[in-house]
Amino acid sequence: MIRLDNVVKRYGDTTAVDGVSFEVPTGEVCVLIGPSGCGKTTTLRMINRLIEPSGGTIEVDGRDIMSARPEELRRHIGYVIQSVGLFPHLTVADNIATVPRLLGWKDERIKPRIGELLELVGLDPDEYAGKYPRQLSGGEAQRIGVARALAADPPVLLMDEPFGAVDPLNRGHLQGEFARIQRELKKTVIFVTHDVDEAIRLADRIALMRDGRLQQYDTPEALLDHPANKFVHDFMGADRALKRLGRVLVGDAMRTDIEVARILDAGDIDRDACGDARFVYLVDGNGLLRGWVDCHDLDEGRSIDDAVTEIDWREASVAPDISLKDALSTMIGLGFRSIPVTESGTLVGSITLSSIEATMTSSDSHITQLSGETLSSEEPS
Amino acid sequence: MGWMPPSLRVTGSPRKALSNRQAGQGGAIVRNMTVISGRPARRVDRVAAFGAVVALAGCLLVPFAEFRANRIVSGAPEPLSSAGTAGWLLLALAVAAFGLSVAFRPAWRGRGILILGAGLVALMPWALGFAAVSLLIGAGSPARVSIGSGAWLVMLGGAIIWFAGARGLGRSRLKPVLAVAVIGLWVSSAVFGGVPELSLAREYAVQSTRFWGLVREHLMLSGLGLAFGTLIGVPLGALASRNNLVRSATLSVVGVIQTVPSLALLGLLVFPLAAVGLPGIGTLPATIALTLYALLPIVRNTYVGLAGVDEGALDAGRGMGMSKAQLLLRVEAPLALPLVLEGVRAAAVLVIGIAAVTAFVGAGGLGILVFQGWGQQADDLTLLGALPMVALALFADLAIRGVASVAVSPGIRQEEVAR
Repeated sequence: MIRLDNVVKRYGDTTAVDGVSFEVPTGEVCVLIGPSGCGKTTTLRMINRLIEPSGGTIEVDGRDIMSARPEELRRHIGYVIQSVGLFPHLTVADNIATVPRLLGWKDERIKPRIGELLELVGLDPDEYAGKYPRQLSGGEAQRIGVARALAADPPVLLMDEPFGAVDPLNRGHLQGEFARIQRELKKTVIFVTHDVDEAIRLADRIALMRDGRLQQYDTPEALLDHPANKFVHDFMGADRALKRLGRVLVGDAMRTDIEVARILDAGDIDRDACGDARFVYLVDGNGLLRGWVDCHDLDEGRSIDDAVTEIDWREASVAPDISLKDALSTMIGLGFRSIPVTESGTLVGSITLSSIEATMTSSDSHITQLSGETLSSEEPS
Repeated sequence: MGWMPPSLRVTGSPRKALSNRQAGQGGAIVRNMTVISGRPARRVDRVAAFGAVVALAGCLLVPFAEFRANRIVSGAPEPLSSAGTAGWLLLALAVAAFGLSVAFRPAWRGRGILILGAGLVALMPWALGFAAVSLLIGAGSPARVSIGSGAWLVMLGGAIIWFAGARGLGRSRLKPVLAVAVIGLWVSSAVFGGVPELSLAREYAVQSTRFWGLVREHLMLSGLGLAFGTLIGVPLGALASRNNLVRSATLSVVGVIQTVPSLALLGLLVFPLAAVGLPGIGTLPATIALTLYALLPIVRNTYVGLAGVDEGALDAGRGMGMSKAQLLLRVEAPLALPLVLEGVRAAAVLVIGIAAVTAFVGAGGLGILVFQGWGQQADDLTLLGALPMVALALFADLAIRGVASVAVSPGIRQEEVAR
């Protein structure tokens, strides 16, 4: 648990953070968001005392952060920054071992931990442990950054725009992986970003700040549906229904009870799979998605070649760890009403427009109170 | 691409010509240009050709050796032919190097140039030894044979050709093999060849006990200067990187010191030392002056190295709970190390050179031989002081590079690491 109570930071006459209070329950992700200069990074950096607060109290797991030496405090708080800040002279393994070594862990305890962490962030330990940071891509480097922050298993994680410098495609992957890791580890996380979609996707709660003051602290749904003021409303943007889709993962919304036709050895397919459905997906003996079958054509006695449409799963399917919003975007791009869900090519389910619609309406039963006002088109930075 | 007279060839860098050729596949106009300027890359190895010209000039235009009736009278010029067969061999190597770099382009061209260059350098002491032996036949015992300007030119040209060959070859086993072979031929020429008959060697034979004492003195003086310069310079550079006031003060002061001529600095030191009752001549002022000169490269490089440490790495280090000392030792120092060592290397070469001048204040060192040689117009005595200084500087340079190649993390070394 992280608790901020009336926290203030002054620089001379200017007040960067002005009486901010909120509480992040254990195991939740709080995203600090707001326009540039709103004090979100300052707030984050006060929690591990990289910036000393001018007033108020901050507690981490019930302990006042001022009660210990800052170095001691920081060794028990994971820290990830936008520029990653890997030490270029150390190997990946030594980078990850930084905090464990500061804490005086024995080597026999550190070594297996490095392998564990590399696997956790989806990198092959044998391949990556001995590499130097300059041999890594931006996405790989930030995975190592996250692994390094998690090395000593801190209960709390501070992340300052961790995916801000990564290209959009990789950012999506990293967000998905972060969400997966967080489901597994249940850390208490404070995550700074200026990207509303990222906030909505990852946050259990969002703290929206402006000019050093907290504007609203609540769940993403609440910020979308019940903005506390016009600033919150404008900042969250007009496409709230779409944004809400950004919170739902394909894997959670997909249908898994789908009909599948298999390719048989003789170059035929098992025609029995065609039940009531017009189309069924076609997989090979390994469960790899190969295309779909128009059962109608089969019924009318057309050849298999005519009835089967072959597709490449890399282009015409979505992964379960991306958001419904991204899936919808892919579907619109391809002109599909339904899209298969695959994990490395293996068919695991499907998403249809109607299922997306159902997700939207289930939480969109009300139009916000502010809908009558003239909405500002002012872009949040 | 047809043959055309050399006068029609448009000069331009080979690489440019190559890219024209590649671009030429696109359009007729460019292709036309190609006919004029396009030629196979590296038709002429300019560096090797230059080295060969230098070596040929040394062989043919200036005296190869000098014969003196005794140690101090001015010498009579002796041509390459005085070295007999070895001389003609040198000339043949130089001609071959010229031909290979200008006219012929066999597949083994790079290796050939490399071998010819190393050969010119390796044969030189043998040729000089032959010249000395043959010229001294029948001459009285005071007679001397010294190294002529031609021999120096041939050696310089050989080194340039050697460099040109090595440059184009990448990593090759031939390079260290040749280096060892050259050293072997040099050493064997001193043992089995006529090198001991050369005036320089005779000068050494007379001075040998004193010579090694002076080398030791020289090493001690420059070693002390470098050690104190490092001990003071590194912390000063570190302070400069933390504090703007210290930085501007320190960098300007060490910068000014560097502009004071060494003799002037030694002269200026007399007064403050005398004021506190210390001798203004001898080892003390010399060490102080050398320390001061060592400061600039070391302070500046330490400052630049520390100031250049990635802000993200520092933030991450602090954020993970490193204390200031841990951050300095585990992050800043290793990251600044390449530049600090580069500063120490520059200071070492500088200090070994300046230590020659401290002979003037009675600090000893190889400078004594140089100045005595000048005073007695005994050029070989001057050389006996100067050549070891060059060797010391080269050795210090190599040694510190060696330290750097071991101490600097592969993650931040200059050369490319495979992805």
